[in-house]
Amino acid sequence: MAAIVQSFDSKASATPSSSDAIMRVEDISMRFSTPDGVLTAVDDVSFAVRPGEFLSVIGPSGCGKSTLFNVIGGLLGGYEGRVSVAGETITGPHASIGMVFQEESTFPWRTVVDNVAFPLELSGMAKAQRVERARHFIKLVGLDGFENRYPSELSGGMRQRVSMARTLAFEPKILLMDEPFAALDEQTRLLLGDKVLQIQQQLKQTTLLITHNITEAVQLSDRILVMTYRPGKIKRIVDIDLPRPRTSDIVSSEAFGRYVAQIWSDLREEASRGMSDDEKTRQGGHPR
Amino acid sequence: MKADAMARSRVIPPLIGFGSLALSVLAFEVLIRLNVISKFIVPPPSEIAMSFERIIVEEHVLQRFVATGSEVLTAAAMLTVVGVSIGVLLFQVDILRRATETWVAAMAAAPIVLMYPLFLVIFGRSPWTIIMIGFVAALPPVILKTIEGLAGTRRVLINVGRSFSMSESQLFWKIMLPSALPTIFVGLRLGLIFALINIVGVEFLINFGGLGQLINELAERYDLAGTYAAICFVILVSIIVFALTERIERWLTPAN
Amino acid sequence: MAHAGQLTAARTPRPALADPVTMVRIAIIVGVLAFWEVLSRSGWLYRDVVPSLVAISKAVGELLIDKDYYWNLGWTGFEVAVALGIGGVGGLLAGLILGSNKLLGKSFEPYLYYLGPTPKIIFFPVMIMWFGIGPGSKIALGTISCFFPIALSTAAGMRQIKPVLISVGRTYRANAWQMMTKIYIPAMRHPIINGIRLGLGVAIIGTLLAETKLSNKGIGFLIINAYSTFDMPRMYALLIVLFVLSIGVNALVGRFGGLDKIKRS
Repeated sequence: MAAIVQSFDSKASATPSSSDAIMRVEDISMRFSTPDGVLTAVDDVSFAVRPGEFLSVIGPSGCGKSTLFNVIGGLLGGYEGRVSVAGETITGPHASIGMVFQEESTFPWRTVVDNVAFPLELSGMAKAQRVERARHFIKLVGLDGFENRYPSELSGGMRQRVSMARTLAFEPKILLMDEPFAALDEQTRLLLGDKVLQIQQQLKQTTLLITHNITEAVQLSDRILVMTYRPGKIKRIVDIDLPRPRTSDIVSSEAFGRYVAQIWSDLREEASRGMSDDEKTRQGGHPR
Repeated sequence: MKADAMARSRVIPPLIGFGSLALSVLAFEVLIRLNVISKFIVPPPSEIAMSFERIIVEEHVLQRFVATGSEVLTAAAMLTVVGVSIGVLLFQVDILRRATETWVAAMAAAPIVLMYPLFLVIFGRSPWTIIMIGFVAALPPVILKTIEGLAGTRRVLINVGRSFSMSESQLFWKIMLPSALPTIFVGLRLGLIFALINIVGVEFLINFGGLGQLINELAERYDLAGTYAAICFVILVSIIVFALTERIERWLTPAN
Repeated sequence: MAHAGQLTAARTPRPALADPVTMVRIAIIVGVLAFWEVLSRSGWLYRDVVPSLVAISKAVGELLIDKDYYWNLGWTGFEVAVALGIGGVGGLLAGLILGSNKLLGKSFEPYLYYLGPTPKIIFFPVMIMWFGIGPGSKIALGTISCFFPIALSTAAGMRQIKPVLISVGRTYRANAWQMMTKIYIPAMRHPIINGIRLGLGVAIIGTLLAETKLSNKGIGFLIINAYSTFDMPRMYALLIVLFVLSIGVNALVGRFGGLDKIKRS
């Protein structure tokens, strides 16, 4: 097992000195003041993303994954450290980063095609052109035939694919996803994983996925960053040496099982710390 | 960030709200005294405040309040009995519900209170005209909310009941009605407020009864300050009733 | 999801006559009408309190060809429209400000919230002093009636927008105008339309009640006139026509507001 899973001292190797990184996250820390004192959500996290790479950040609830997501996406300020894409420091929402949210985020008043064309519409692209572009990405996520439906007529998985197509139509350098499949059932999740693998293969899309699902992370990723429970630090970086192109069939392979077991043994400790913390606060008299 | 913290404070927003109110009252007072606003249109706030004592003592506001209050309570009692019963009936007899629910909803959008001259013909200038208008105008929301509450009983709770092989009537009394109670109360509260608004309004319009009539009388006597004071009093009463029923509703609704 | 359910239910075509619901409806209507006619012929009530259906239908017919009626309807429609215009724009602006600014919302919304459900007609004497006995005071009463529901539902609608939709707009770097026109307003269209519906209803009530109290034109004036001349069939006719119009306009606004929810293709 040790042969496959290499563990590193996080700081030293998470920041590759090589200039090939497309995105760098350097010494990010985020603290919130709460009634019970200062809470460190993210503690000195650094890593780099290589072009074309699929990188996942995995951790238990409360490890600051979503904070990290919002910081990288430029939606949250007030942190220490620096996020840069191709050398340019990110100070707010940036054209090179496209975000897919965990919550359902399609516009219920727009049809599928109008949803996907939304970012193109904002940038002032002509109608015919943006519809054509939108159709291309709708086809890519496998929703052709549903262009003129409204989100309320689609399933949860289909709606998440609409969100994904909308973000891809924006043609970001980096696709940033926060547990996009968290609300879906396991089968749908695996099948959507296939779709993501296919799209990534086709577009060579650099992707950063935030997740708490080990199967999903191993199925999709080239590398996985395992985070600790509060404060969120990088505990370990795992290279996933599984062949590409992959499909969801890979989940039944022996190597897959070993990765999952290894990551689970890292995560178990963190998750159980999180659980006992949670129980403690519940005992502490917060009835809700 | 700073404005956010201020918004979260328990003291600052009410202070701003009340402060602005006090300031605008003061501004009126000054503008009226400077004759920018004619005091024959708006009496100075100080004069309105002084006339409060007068209308309470001389105009028997308390008796009037009791008169209006008993009309409202009578209408509310009728609403509770008749409105909830109709709601239950419509819920139980599905075909009736499907036939008439849209009618009830349409009546909720109709200006029922405009029927007061008709009620005046039927019931004469008596409290019953006023009570019946309050009752009829507030009926639709009570019926609709009763149906909504009963229909909203969670399926799993009914299944729990069935698993204990409860009879249909047990199911209704022990599961559906209790689970519908918060929603039914929302309907009754809406009904009470509607009844109050319409009752005071009709009292004013037909110049009969309690608080509404007082405003009409004072206005006809050209007692400006008194009219304003009486309006303030009525507004205050309806705010208190509204807030009170809101409290009760919150207390009845299970915290989840 | 509730919407989707309603939509499919609404779109399910029903055969017109074989449907039991329609049969029950017809039965209820026929029953009520028959009861009414019997009551009116029995003489149990004062004369004309329950006029015969023939008299009522005749009155409705006369009303609908009466020029005078349309002239008065025009005045009332004008008053309500102006009231809804002023109160609606004012309410919308107030709602947008209170909904987007937390501090202002927390400071002033309680006042709107508690003043909303109070009787507005009692302000009529004051409105007469301010705006005279003509249409001005009726418009003013309609305006203050519809301001509250529109302001409150706009403010609530603004706060109900899912934060993630605003985040989406930000990630695509929408400017302020784009945020307003492409995200805030469409996301709030249901509460706004609902507020306008409620506002329209209370504006009609406010305006007409004021007309019944003191005026020389408008539908409210016609109603109170029919009362004072004890022309019961005409009063019934006026009320019937008024109810049909109000319910119709209300349904129209609702239909208009819900339109884009339904599939257009």
